Amino acid sequence: MIEVHGLTVRFGGVVPIDRMTVTLAGGTCGLIGPNGAGKTTFFNVLSGFVKPIAGSVHAFGEDLLAVTDFRRARWGVRRTFQTEQAIANLTVYDNVLLVHENTGGGRATRRQDVMDAVTFVGLEPEANHLVGTLGVASRRLVEVARAVVGKPRLVLLDEPAAGLPADETEHLAQLIRRIPQETEAPVILVDHDMSLVSACCATTAVLDFGRLIASGATAQVLRDEHVISAYLGAEEEL
Amino acid sequence: MTAVGTLEGGETDSTGEVRTRRSGRGPVRLVVLAGLVAFVVFGLPTLLDRYWLQIVTSAVIYSIVTLGLGLLIGRAGMVSLCQFLLLAIGAWVALRLEYATSLPFPVLIVVAGVVTGLIGALIGLPALRLSGLYLALITLMAAGAITVVLRIAQFPNGGGGFFGNSAAGGASSRLPRPAIAAGDTAYFRYCVVVAGLMFVLAVWQVRGKSGRAWAALRQSQATAVAAGVNTMLYRLWAFALASFMAGVAGGLLAADSGGVNINQFPVQNSILLLAVVLMGGVYSLWGAVVAALLLRLLPALLDNWGVSTELLTILFGIGILQVLLTAPGGLADQVPKDLANLGRRLRNLVSPKAKRAAPPT
Amino acid sequence: MPDLKPFLVLGFALGGVFAMSGVGLVVLYRATGVLNLAYGAIGATGALITWSLLDSDWAPDWLAYLACIAFGGLATLLYGVLFGPPFAARDPLVKATATLGLLLILLGTMQWVWGRDPHGITLPTTRWNYELFDARVSGTQIIGVVFAIAVTVGTAAFLRVTKVGTAMRALANDREITATLGVPVRRVEAAAWLGSGIVCGGAGLLLSNLVGLDIVGLTFLVIPALAAALIGQLRSLWVTLAAGFLIGIVQSGLTAFSEVAEYRTLTPFVLAILALLWFAIRREQSLVRSSG
Repeated sequence: MIEVHGLTVRFGGVVPIDRMTVTLAGGTCGLIGPNGAGKTTFFNVLSGFVKPIAGSVHAFGEDLLAVTDFRRARWGVRRTFQTEQAIANLTVYDNVLLVHENTGGGRATRRQDVMDAVTFVGLEPEANHLVGTLGVASRRLVEVARAVVGKPRLVLLDEPAAGLPADETEHLAQLIRRIPQETEAPVILVDHDMSLVSACCATTAVLDFGRLIASGATAQVLRDEHVISAYLGAEEEL
Repeated sequence: MTAVGTLEGGETDSTGEVRTRRSGRGPVRLVVLAGLVAFVVFGLPTLLDRYWLQIVTSAVIYSIVTLGLGLLIGRAGMVSLCQFLLLAIGAWVALRLEYATSLPFPVLIVVAGVVTGLIGALIGLPALRLSGLYLALITLMAAGAITVVLRIAQFPNGGGGFFGNSAAGGASSRLPRPAIAAGDTAYFRYCVVVAGLMFVLAVWQVRGKSGRAWAALRQSQATAVAAGVNTMLYRLWAFALASFMAGVAGGLLAADSGGVNINQFPVQNSILLLAVVLMGGVYSLWGAVVAALLLRLLPALLDNWGVSTELLTILFGIGILQVLLTAPGGLADQVPKDLANLGRRLRNLVSPKAKRAAPPT
Repeated sequence: MPDLKPFLVLGFALGGVFAMSGVGLVVLYRATGVLNLAYGAIGATGALITWSLLDSDWAPDWLAYLACIAFGGLATLLYGVLFGPPFAARDPLVKATATLGLLLILLGTMQWVWGRDPHGITLPTTRWNYELFDARVSGTQIIGVVFAIAVTVGTAAFLRVTKVGTAMRALANDREITATLGVPVRRVEAAAWLGSGIVCGGAGLLLSNLVGLDIVGLTFLVIPALAAALIGQLRSLWVTLAAGFLIGIVQSGLTAFSEVAEYRTLTPFVLAILALLWFAIRREQSLVRSSG
């Protein structure tokens, strides 16, 4: 349960997030909106990169904003990035191990936890390969493995399927659907691919100009006229 | 996301290596390595006369400094321009302690290393929040400041006061060697052992948690923070480790034949050190050895052949430009690749039927 | 209280040259992202060329002096044209490190060609002496101060008023957007390289006269210039100017106090470190800029 109240972020004259208030239930929740709506900025607030000038974020009753910087990840926030950030110079195993050992993962179960995550995304055969030698799809999977290893408490996926062909996207969708039960952590998915969002997310929230304009069951939200006009512009005669 | 100190270019792509697996040839490599070390320790001194042995000893000592700087640049993506002066500080601390206490030699060296490590951490601390350029500049300024203070303080030579230096003591200061390593050959072997230990320390760090954290840092600050890495701590640690190594090398240098005097630490040597480390290759630990040989062996060779050593300065300058432009892995990276390419071409010449498509480079 | 005046006079002149060099460094950095650490080396090489021309009587004196300034401009421009584009997309740290390569090349060349014998250049202006505020001041020293102010004023005006100057300011602000606006980036950068190079040559000539023609010494006089530029946050020309004078005056003034005279050369380092510390405390490192 993520409760956001009156969240506001300002960079100079730009206000990417403007008094955003929303409650995100468990399971997988989609977060959509046109470009510049503030989705990635919201993720940046959640993962501790950006400090809001007003508002609060509570996760499972705890004040998330009180946890700073890298400690956010230790608290349990995991995220993937729009531009894929798997570390090319490390192996798949080491990439995932990195997250486990820096987020309070226990040493006793370390090897097992890491291999569980690697197996979950289907990269077990390549566990000892350098990530730099893998293709784009596999690198994205490494990022997902890093997001689910150990005991995450909130998983943020920022356009995880960007740049992937349709069959890989399908594979990814199936993975994402399994994350909440595998990790018991809520997942928030940002993407422009509406079929992916529909396939994975029971609920969806919509941002436009930093404000929440709709939230609820995915199917209904995608049909909401405010949402459609936000994407297409105010007046559109077809 | 900005990448921290990407020496290999604007993009954070793969290093271009086509290794797919951690080398299954590990055991073979270890045997070769052991053989090489055995040759260096036992065989080499018998082949060299006193002068060349001293040069090679000096190269071994400097390989510890280049190792530290190589780690700092190659793994943590940070550039320091004061490593050479930290070497001087290590020597200073070792000498000062020698005159003030009766600690055994190995302890002196380690203490010199630790103190230098702390000083290095102190220098790097303020710059950690700033970009890589400002860190390099602060180390440049620190190098200059240390040079000035050193010129005034001189190296301890048994005199009184904090600086432990008196004009009557003479210009050079020398640390007495431990009893087991009094002679030149014995001291050479002693230095090789210490250098070996430093390399083991480096490998241990790189293959462990620190190495992974540094790899994340090099990728980008955001990646590291998102993975829960305490970026300031690991940057500071990289700096402290490199400084520790410079300090240890300083202690060894103080016991080298001829001792140390301040003329050995002119300002431009810090830049020459950076040049050879880049040229040797910062992504491989062997690069440190190559760098040390470039710094100590090459000038001696040129001197022997009557070629002026100023040309080396020019060469190293060109080396910096070349490495930054085209071969970020330096010689340690380029030479194996070139040799592999050469090997492949030779094989194709010998058996054209077995020609395979050239692998992507 | 010892008589500070002769030291202050020298300090002002030195500081002027530091300030001038600092301004050159700042403008180049803002326009191209390159912090030219080879600044002193270029000036030193130019001064040595001048010395050779004077010594061999190949050319009239005024041409020899001009050669230093011309070399400064041309050498810097050449470096900028050759190595600017390949490094254009790289981190400022990489660009600055590359200039260290240039520094070594020039340093080695100077030591090889001109050896380590001391040389000296005496500008004609040094022989003009005046009485100012009860102290003797040479023409060169006056030039040092006047040029510093003139260069700063001129540069500030140039940046604000001319098209090229405005383009430089735009480049400093955002390189990519400026390129898409149709500004001839390469040409503007070349102008910045040339301009800073000319200032570099002039500074080298003045310094060789004020401080002596010592190869290593002149090469590393980039440090006080750099310190002034850092105090100006690599941004403000006026603060750089003031900082340059400050460094020169303090460093020179300390000579008069025998207890600390030895430590006076610490001045630029200490001031630069303090400036950098101040940035570290004030600056907030934000990891990610606003994005969609």
